[in-house]
Amino acid sequence: MSGFRLPGRGRVNHDRPVGFSFDGDSYQGLEGDTVASALLANGVHLMGRSFKYHRPRGVVTAGPEEPNALLGTSRGEGRSEPNTRATMQEIYSGLTTTSQNRFPSLNFDLGAVNDHLGMLFSAGFYYKTFMWPKSFWDRVYEPVIRRAAGLGVSPSEPDPDTYASRFVHCDVLVVGAGPAGLAAALSAGRAGARTLLIDEGAESGGSLLSEPQAVIDGKPAWDWLSSALDELDGMVNVTVLSRTTAIGYYHQNMVGLVQRLTDHLAEPPADAPRERMLRVRADQVVLAQGAIEKPLVFDGNDRPGVMLAGAALTYLNRYGVRVGDRPVVLTSHDSAWYTAFDLSDAGVPVAGIVDTRTDVDLDLLENARSRGIVIYTGHTASSTAGRLRVTSLRVNPILNGKAGPGVTIECDAVLMCGGWTPSLHLFSHTKGSLRWDEETRTYLPGERTEEVHIAGAGRGLWGTGAALADGADAGAKAADAAGHSADVSQFDVTGDRGGTGASNVELPTDRNPATAKAFIDFQNDVTAKDIRLAVREGMHSIEHVKRYTTNGMATDQGKLSNINGLMIASDALGRNAPEVGLTTFRPPYSPTTFGAFCGYHRGERFEVIRTTPIDPWAEENGAVFEPVALWRRARYFPQPGEDMHTAVNRECAATRKSLGIFDASTLGKIEVAGPDAVEFMNRMYTNPWTKLGVGRCRYGLLLGEDGFIRDDGVIGRLSPDLFHVTTTTGGAPRVLAMMEDYLQTEWPDLKVWLTSTTEQWATIALNGPNARKLLEPLVEGQDLSDDAFPHMSVAECTVAGFPARLFRISFTGELGFEVNVPARHGLDLWKTLMAEGAQYDICPYGTETMHVLRAEKGYIIVGQDTDGTVTPQDAGLSWAIGKAKPDFVGKRSLARPDLVASGRKQLVGLMTVDPKTVLEEGAQIVADPNQPIPMKMIGHVTSSYWSEALGRSIAMAVVEDGFERKGDTLHIPMPDKTHAAVVSGTVFYDPEGDRLKL
Amino acid sequence: MMTNAATLQDCLAATGLSGPVELRLLPEPARMALRADPAHGNALSGALRLELPTKIGDRANNDGLEVLCLGPDEWVVHTDGEGMAAVQAAFAEIYGEVPHSLVDISDRDIAIELRGAAAETLLSTGCPIDLSRIRPGHGKRTLFDSVQVVLLRDGEDLFRMEVWRSFLPHVWGLLNTANRELEVGL
Amino acid sequence: MLLIHCPYCDETLPEAEFVYAGEAHIARPEDPSTYDDEAWRDFLFIRTNARGRHFERWRHTHGCGRFFNAVRDTVSDRFLLTYRAGEPRPSDAELEELAK
Repeated sequence: MSGFRLPGRGRVNHDRPVGFSFDGDSYQGLEGDTVASALLANGVHLMGRSFKYHRPRGVVTAGPEEPNALLGTSRGEGRSEPNTRATMQEIYSGLTTTSQNRFPSLNFDLGAVNDHLGMLFSAGFYYKTFMWPKSFWDRVYEPVIRRAAGLGVSPSEPDPDTYASRFVHCDVLVVGAGPAGLAAALSAGRAGARTLLIDEGAESGGSLLSEPQAVIDGKPAWDWLSSALDELDGMVNVTVLSRTTAIGYYHQNMVGLVQRLTDHLAEPPADAPRERMLRVRADQVVLAQGAIEKPLVFDGNDRPGVMLAGAALTYLNRYGVRVGDRPVVLTSHDSAWYTAFDLSDAGVPVAGIVDTRTDVDLDLLENARSRGIVIYTGHTASSTAGRLRVTSLRVNPILNGKAGPGVTIECDAVLMCGGWTPSLHLFSHTKGSLRWDEETRTYLPGERTEEVHIAGAGRGLWGTGAALADGADAGAKAADAAGHSADVSQFDVTGDRGGTGASNVELPTDRNPATAKAFIDFQNDVTAKDIRLAVREGMHSIEHVKRYTTNGMATDQGKLSNINGLMIASDALGRNAPEVGLTTFRPPYSPTTFGAFCGYHRGERFEVIRTTPIDPWAEENGAVFEPVALWRRARYFPQPGEDMHTAVNRECAATRKSLGIFDASTLGKIEVAGPDAVEFMNRMYTNPWTKLGVGRCRYGLLLGEDGFIRDDGVIGRLSPDLFHVTTTTGGAPRVLAMMEDYLQTEWPDLKVWLTSTTEQWATIALNGPNARKLLEPLVEGQDLSDDAFPHMSVAECTVAGFPARLFRISFTGELGFEVNVPARHGLDLWKTLMAEGAQYDICPYGTETMHVLRAEKGYIIVGQDTDGTVTPQDAGLSWAIGKAKPDFVGKRSLARPDLVASGRKQLVGLMTVDPKTVLEEGAQIVADPNQPIPMKMIGHVTSSYWSEALGRSIAMAVVEDGFERKGDTLHIPMPDKTHAAVVSGTVFYDPEGDRLKL
Repeated sequence: MMTNAATLQDCLAATGLSGPVELRLLPEPARMALRADPAHGNALSGALRLELPTKIGDRANNDGLEVLCLGPDEWVVHTDGEGMAAVQAAFAEIYGEVPHSLVDISDRDIAIELRGAAAETLLSTGCPIDLSRIRPGHGKRTLFDSVQVVLLRDGEDLFRMEVWRSFLPHVWGLLNTANRELEVGL
Repeated sequence: MLLIHCPYCDETLPEAEFVYAGEAHIARPEDPSTYDDEAWRDFLFIRTNARGRHFERWRHTHGCGRFFNAVRDTVSDRFLLTYRAGEPRPSDAELEELAK
């Protein structure tokens, strides 16, 4: 049994010892311990070093607000986490923990030299110090700051854990399972409301876990707690989750919860996620988060052994640990007196109770006297002593607001209490207003913006009885508002501990306040005098004070420091606290893992990857893939020893020489059907459609209403009332949404309907002089001869026995066909074509070859050669505009002054003077390479490839007045050299189109 | 009829570890997207030989034919292979008086069946809607993860989820991961 | 994530099923060729950018697929009302009544 554990006391399991390590030493705790309680049971208070001054620090709290006891935890490769709060991390067998921010060891830390340079590290230090000379930034300041910045060490290996998420819907979400939350859940649950009760602790109970003396409905508090939990457990409409933190409160009662599933387990089950994010949508929310105890601000209030009195009470009653052999209580609130009483009753000699107030409740005084505890009312604390642990507290009587002569109290723990701050973080996320309460000198919830009820200490109520009654009321109101009919549960409480307190700024001292280290923000080492200095230096808004001093900006987000900082700032400014205001609380409430936010979206499910029916063949045959929108598409099919360049050259040559096969299944497809289909097509697309015959197809160009190109694709007419529209791969959802928009909202009278058939069809493109030879024997129901089925035809027939829509179209300039078959047959058809095509040396090609072949023909790719500012005229596509049509989407805009002005960027070809030079896509173009920098850029390269067919490079570019520059030499400056290129047309290969007519 | 072989294989491989929810890919039914003016409800009902549901989310069945109302002018029709030809013929007959669009989308979607008491919880890993509001015999178009799906509830513990073919590996992978998680029980 | 009431489904559903579709009640002219350059510019580009009550379009993309109109307060990010496409713009008096 460790030295500071009280046998049989607390909720820990005294029969189940648990071994763990801290800084390489082995320790034993008990099942139910946190790292903090287990270390305290072993007499260890020193758990870390502070951020700026590297001062030795001990645990201050027993909960999530802990600023000091931040440890590195690990359980093997990749499973390590910095800044874990020792007060929250439960121990398990084999847990390894290490202290942070010290070198070489926690007891002897070289960085502690900063402590003696404290005068140099005052508020605004960073702003004042790292100003000049400018050249010092890169070489001196930044490396120094980077080395010093950040607490703890982040893991360098990938996180091997998995994370989960769920959406949850409920009538009433209760945050906090202390007395108020339990009562709220009981009221709501008994009314039949779908109720979710959560608490971030390892077990429910909140303050009841630390105050077992109360008697509720005739039962000792802990018996009542277990019967309440049993009752809740028995209701099918109630769920109780522990180890679950509400991290953020969003619009319309959406609350984000993170559930910790395995961090407390010695051997987590395989496939168990480490954490789960719950996105809860609650009809009503009850916030029963309680209050956080405030530290007192005095010189040396950060020495190990100085902690909050409420925390000491928790360690004593919940964990059976006394935090010292001779503690002294220092308080301005009644609550800390009970810590002294419970310690004393447990046999711990209390060295005294120091209260800043002169008038203290007579019962408290009597209770202290009867236990023989020395009382110092009307006293302040002026300093502490001790290096790695407090050894004494110096106290002084307060006379007329000033500190009188000091006396020293020998002690090994100082248990302080500066009052309590209602926990309003989540409420603040909702933009609910806060109301300053002058009497308790704290902020209380004001106007609500959401369907939220705040219960218990969270709205300034004190004591178990008040919390239960208020929680029951809030739970009933919530259930009623959610459509149930609730009774307010009643509770009879005896042995309750009420109390009041006073609020302070820095405690009065007889020492020089300029040398005092009276901390407000323990984690960021912000002292009271830093706040006053900030105000003197002109920071009059609390937001400026915060950023200048970094008060409240550490991982604990000012849970302990915000109100003390505000009180001191408002004192320095001579203004009331509400005039100075409070900084904004923002989600997350507690540090949250990236994993919890990622959930399932990592690795192969980082994002959706869409694959075509032919993808498995591509995979088997060694394709190199590239992402196109959400699709993965085969980019090229390298043979052994080939790089992309060689593979693409081979694929291009094979297609132009004989036959290439390409998976075009990702193309968007829309079925446009109905009596008004042709009218609709006329209105949507630039082209005329009325005279397009059944069985024919046409290149369609789609503009936005602003006149700029949005999409394009080949469109076939299958019957008078039926068009098979194709879109770009990435544009498919956009185009369908745009069409639906016009149909539903502008032309609801048109009798035409749209259906996405992108995935109904697998699409295989065959290109090359031998394409017809391959297809002809496989096609039934259509004569493929050039007369019967000329270029730009479409037919329904069968291919290799599969029902098909067959197009004769080409995106390569070669004789081309696109076969659409129902997706389930896509792979079989592909395999058949590969087998039958062997006699023509059929060559599968990918998107890279497709790009080269189309660029050789000057066919544009929307989104690559256009960028949302390109009109049909700019792109050389005026021929695709049905000029006789009275209207189509974007037509009016084509006459806008800016769209017909000179100086527009127009799509042209570029032939580099050195034919071997392949320009970089995106490279900027200038007319005169000798002009001074910055040069006037007149355009950029949009497409650029090596053309194997032409034996030279080709490129397309958008260039100011490009059409008028044909034959001019332009220049493309690059880091290594400037390339010259001659402006040309965009059709580089077979300009007459003879090869299409085979 | 079978789904695309390789995709199916990939998906089945992912089911090596089971969970409390029985997940399987359903054989492909015939599936049609029907769009028409609901004012022609009677004629449309006649062609389908059932009362065409006009409240979004409602379903109707008759003789192997099942219709779910997805939008004010949109339905999805499920039937078997032979049934589809009959439906197509019946609709061709009324086209003159009742213009509409009836498109074969049998191959566009793949249906996943989820069976078991934990099916609703499993779906809640990806569906942001309150699934308890979809009663047995109803359905709706919604999202699973970021993927658009049509969700049909056939019983308290029985769902069908129809997913566009290319999204199946993503959805199937997520469902199986979450199903294993349910099995662990944490 | 907001909750949005779809006036076609008559259900209040998560925002994830919806997409925003710009300001409402800007009808495409019957014959755009009759618009001069300024009027056409206004139709294309000039928007209210309201601070407060904003009339806007949403689409229930991953649900019934319909475009509809909404009145949303851009300060509080709260919906006052949603209504079907083609229905008249609600009057200020009606909206005041709803805001109560």
